[in-house]
Amino acid sequence: MIYETPAFRPGGDRYMLIEFGNEMNLELNFMAQGLATAIAEQKTKGVIETAPCFASMLIHYEPDEISYADLSRELERLIAALGPSDDIELESRVFYFPTVYLDPWTRECVQDYIAKIAPKQTDPEFVAELNGLSDVQQFVRVHSGTEYWVASLGFWPGLPFMMALDPRCKLTAPKYNPPRTWTPKGTVGMGGASTAIYPEHLPGGYQIFGRIPVPIWDPEKRFGVFSDSICLFRPGDRVKFVPCTVEEFEEAERRVADGSYVYNVVEYQKFSVRQYKRWVGSLDLARRF
Amino acid sequence: MLEVIKPGLETSVQDWPGRIGFWNQGFPPSGPMDSWSFRLANVLVGNAPGAAGLECQFLGPTLKFQRNGVVAVTGADMQAALDGEPLPMWQSVAVEAGQTLAMAFARTGARTYIAVAGGIETEPWLGARATFHKAGVGGMNGRAIKEGQSVPVAEAAGQPGRRVKAESRPDFAKAKRWTVEVVAGPNDDWIDAAGHERFLSADWKLSAKSDRTGFRLDGPQWSFTDKATDKAPEHGSLPSNIIDQGYPLGAINLAGQTPIILVNDGPSMGGFINPYTVPQAAFWKLGQSRPGEIYNFKAVSVDEAQAMARRLRELCTEASIETA
Repeated sequence: MIYETPAFRPGGDRYMLIEFGNEMNLELNFMAQGLATAIAEQKTKGVIETAPCFASMLIHYEPDEISYADLSRELERLIAALGPSDDIELESRVFYFPTVYLDPWTRECVQDYIAKIAPKQTDPEFVAELNGLSDVQQFVRVHSGTEYWVASLGFWPGLPFMMALDPRCKLTAPKYNPPRTWTPKGTVGMGGASTAIYPEHLPGGYQIFGRIPVPIWDPEKRFGVFSDSICLFRPGDRVKFVPCTVEEFEEAERRVADGSYVYNVVEYQKFSVRQYKRWVGSLDLARRF
Repeated sequence: MLEVIKPGLETSVQDWPGRIGFWNQGFPPSGPMDSWSFRLANVLVGNAPGAAGLECQFLGPTLKFQRNGVVAVTGADMQAALDGEPLPMWQSVAVEAGQTLAMAFARTGARTYIAVAGGIETEPWLGARATFHKAGVGGMNGRAIKEGQSVPVAEAAGQPGRRVKAESRPDFAKAKRWTVEVVAGPNDDWIDAAGHERFLSADWKLSAKSDRTGFRLDGPQWSFTDKATDKAPEHGSLPSNIIDQGYPLGAINLAGQTPIILVNDGPSMGGFINPYTVPQAAFWKLGQSRPGEIYNFKAVSVDEAQAMARRLRELCTEASIETA
């Protein structure tokens, strides 16, 4: 549900968590991103930084400049002034990534988990079955059939938490229990209703089923797309996974290694929440890809 | 310049408050775990309290000074010696080019801080010199210092012959058991009354599987409210799973049944609840505790936690310094 009034909760002496609701719903992320933008524009006193997420936003503040109570009141005022999310228009780039679905690397990783940590059904088969899909081929069609909305970055530098924009492609999956100790760099996975890309060889808890050959963070800034930030994504970007073969993956990997890889980015579009909602309203949600 | 003769177990460049402003991209602040001892080391030698210095964990380094300067050692007692003579802690001391500072294992506490007049002058990365080991950024090439390296130090006259008043130092000499303050929230409403009772009354043992990203605790089981057990599937299947959310630094993050205190190099976001948060002014206790030691948690209000931070900041000033 979306809360009628957002809940403010303390995180120690310097943080506040604002909960807009308790479900994964793009509307909640539009609110979180809208509030983060309003705070940045108004330069709200005492706010050091914000971290919007799916249904909530974390605020880091300086208590010597603003008290917890005053910050709550100021945020209530900003939220009331936000207006309907329909009016939000955001700069939104689209990134296209060659993606090997049902790839050998994540399969090996899952087998290693099963052998050493806990038995489980293999991830793509598990997610397909759980979501009522006929087989893993349909799972690939559905997962790759939509653009993904970058709701927030976190957990690791540059790691995007994303949601399917096309409601016909919405999937859900539980997280690993216990978590994995390793995940290959570039792995695509999902947990809850969120899809993520692992920027590095990292532990993790999402169900995994694909891999991209392209760096999404780069401390050395080897590619022009990292000139502004060593993290590729910004909240409000979109991602499209384009299924490819292992051979195409390896060719892209070679180009990344020698520096000749060209990132496939579209930069001329704005994302209009109103037009997006109009389009969603026109869809027949009973039909899947 | 400081020449690294022996690096110690894990000695890294840190500054305070570290790399602030990049939480929404996933970068933690890093910085010293015991910022009380760290800041006082800087104040002693005449630096700004947050200037870059060295954090030594469990086993300290051996360093050779390449020019005259002023040094101060604070925090855990690693039996620091200058050319073989014991070096007084909590004091600023003049050193000459060619002298060697050697340190051993920590006798009490876990982390020792070395400040040199002028401060360490490695290239800042995203506005800070703090080392973030896991991503290999900041400090000396993003890692702990290594044998043979030269750690750059800015030129400054420094102030030798100063000492931190006894009452202004953190007290951890006898600690095997620590009382650590916590503020309830942000997700305290997911834990039931019995769970809160257990958390605040139990002994929690610091696990050896702890590092600068998280301190794992061993203790009793948690129990939950309906919020944790009756929720939309996108939260995840465990009671402690929640839709991915931002994590406060210091959050007591409940991964399944294992609480992990998210410290200086911790993750900014994830899908577990944080029923309590350790306030900034209590971090020094985490920084000076060793695996196997016991935490008892004491609930304080937001106002009390903020007052603790103000008191600590006042302690990390000239007011705490006397002539040696």
